[in-house]
Amino acid sequence: MKKPSFTQSMSLLHTWGGLVLGWLLFVIFLSGSLAVFDQEIDNWMHPELPVAEVEQAHAAQVALDYLKQRHPEQTAWRISLPGERTDQLSVSVGEGRRNAEAQFLDPRSGEPLASRKSTGGYFFFSFHFLLNLPVLLGIWTTGFAAVAMLVALVSGIVIHKKIFKDFFTFRPAKGQRSWLDVHNVTGVLMLPFHLMIAYTALSIFAMIYMPAGVHSVFNGDNKAFTQQMYGGQRFGGPQVPKERGEPAPGADIAEVLVRAREVLGPVTDLSIGNPGYSTARIQARASMGNTVELTKGRTAVFDGVTGELLEPPTPTARRTLFTQRVMTGLHFAQFGGYPVRWLYFICGMASCVMIATGLVIFTLKRRRASEQTKTFAYRVYRSAEHLNVAIVAGLIVACGALLWSNHLLPAQLAERSDWEQRVFFGIWLLTLLHAFLRPWRKAWCEQLCLAAVLCLGLPLLNAFVDGQAHHPWLEGTSVGFGLILLRIARRVANPPAEVPARKRKSEATEVTP
Amino acid sequence: MRVDYSMISRVLASTLGAYALAYAFAAACARLLPGDAADAAMIAALLSFALLTAFVPWIFSRRTACRAWGVVALAIPLAAVGFWPQLWSLVP
Repeated sequence: MKKPSFTQSMSLLHTWGGLVLGWLLFVIFLSGSLAVFDQEIDNWMHPELPVAEVEQAHAAQVALDYLKQRHPEQTAWRISLPGERTDQLSVSVGEGRRNAEAQFLDPRSGEPLASRKSTGGYFFFSFHFLLNLPVLLGIWTTGFAAVAMLVALVSGIVIHKKIFKDFFTFRPAKGQRSWLDVHNVTGVLMLPFHLMIAYTALSIFAMIYMPAGVHSVFNGDNKAFTQQMYGGQRFGGPQVPKERGEPAPGADIAEVLVRAREVLGPVTDLSIGNPGYSTARIQARASMGNTVELTKGRTAVFDGVTGELLEPPTPTARRTLFTQRVMTGLHFAQFGGYPVRWLYFICGMASCVMIATGLVIFTLKRRRASEQTKTFAYRVYRSAEHLNVAIVAGLIVACGALLWSNHLLPAQLAERSDWEQRVFFGIWLLTLLHAFLRPWRKAWCEQLCLAAVLCLGLPLLNAFVDGQAHHPWLEGTSVGFGLILLRIARRVANPPAEVPARKRKSEATEVTP
Repeated sequence: MRVDYSMISRVLASTLGAYALAYAFAAACARLLPGDAADAAMIAALLSFALLTAFVPWIFSRRTACRAWGVVALAIPLAAVGFWPQLWSLVP
């Protein structure tokens, strides 16, 4: 084998690694960008729930009244409060997981509301890092993709030395050259975002990905490490004695909420142990967006009868844990309200564009080069080209189909949220079939147009089918998205005449093996 | 079609091998860092991802597969540092 130069090696790594992991990365980035607005999408997916701004204290009170009436003998109540991002109020009871069997309530009156069972906006969140795989396999797969992203960025920088010059070179309407320009411009402009998002992705499950320290210093004793790192910090509801004591009236929830906000900032939910008895405890949980640091378990515990603060929240004492939580927080984008959410959404979409254009360039170039020979390589590139369609345009179609199925499937359907997911994966599979049956350009065009129609029709669907409330931001974004997709489809259908690329030294580095 | 075993070997070295190297580095790092053991393990883990990112291109760009595995072999002394008490306990 001929000995490759360093740049050629990096080029190989970038192009082949980029192709194989690019498909995965596109899926992760698109679902991740949507997951930035998971709660907002979730609101849209529950059209029966009223859009009604209600004081948190009022909502908490009506929820308590409901629970007192319906579940007086339960030992644990949980109330998920409306807040900045949602007007949903839901309650659940028992020792199970949070929101296991959540009941939505009208935040104004406390009336139980029958809402469709939906996989909800959190589908995009869990799909983003689990890809519908078993948990550990999903975490490792996305972790692998994150490293591949970092490597693709580093190797991309090496093969693409003229970073600053390319800030100013976008040559539209020049066929393949334009795709490459889009790839380079989005790659270079968004480089800090790309590096940050991929690196902080790894920090979330840092000790799962790299347990070397636990294996060596702690001799593999994960419990000992966790104990030392988190200092026995508990997650879950408040600790209460098994003996419930005497029946006793509950504390004034409005006052408890005021005190909770003093020590926690905005509060998202309440857990109540031994409600209605003298040993009752109320645990308030801070919403995630108060600080950059992602503090999932930051809580304050109050006496359920007197309303006295018993356990104030403990700040993260360890600097290393703090560092890890800040990195995680940077990835989760919960800290700056809507401006930061939009920033992450736009950056994430730009990453999608970079990945998609990268995939297109790769196959376009190689298929052309191997067109005359019709060899094995030609067939591989052709398949890759068709797969590109299904991964990029097909996934957008599938996401649109998920939202459409949420409104169109009968509300009383059994296993309804599973059916929504089945529609998502079924449609995605169909786009794969379609991509291989149709000529390449037509497949792109048709799927992009279908995706555009699904996006453009979203507000109409909501208005005509059963929408109670309008979601101007979500629907406006969807329409904007649809228009962009239409434009891309038109460009794909009518490619501009190819201008032969000027031969430049730097462009010769994209070697074709 | 000709199978390029040397390329397969290089790819394995720069994926599994690079991870092994980063793992060994993190083990040694956690062992050598002064202060609290849990902090050391966390710092080692967070640092190791940057190293992993550097190791992959470094190993992949070696001129031959042999040299690529040569870089990976650096994991052996690093792992010995990281796991010396465990190794020591194996000595009868």
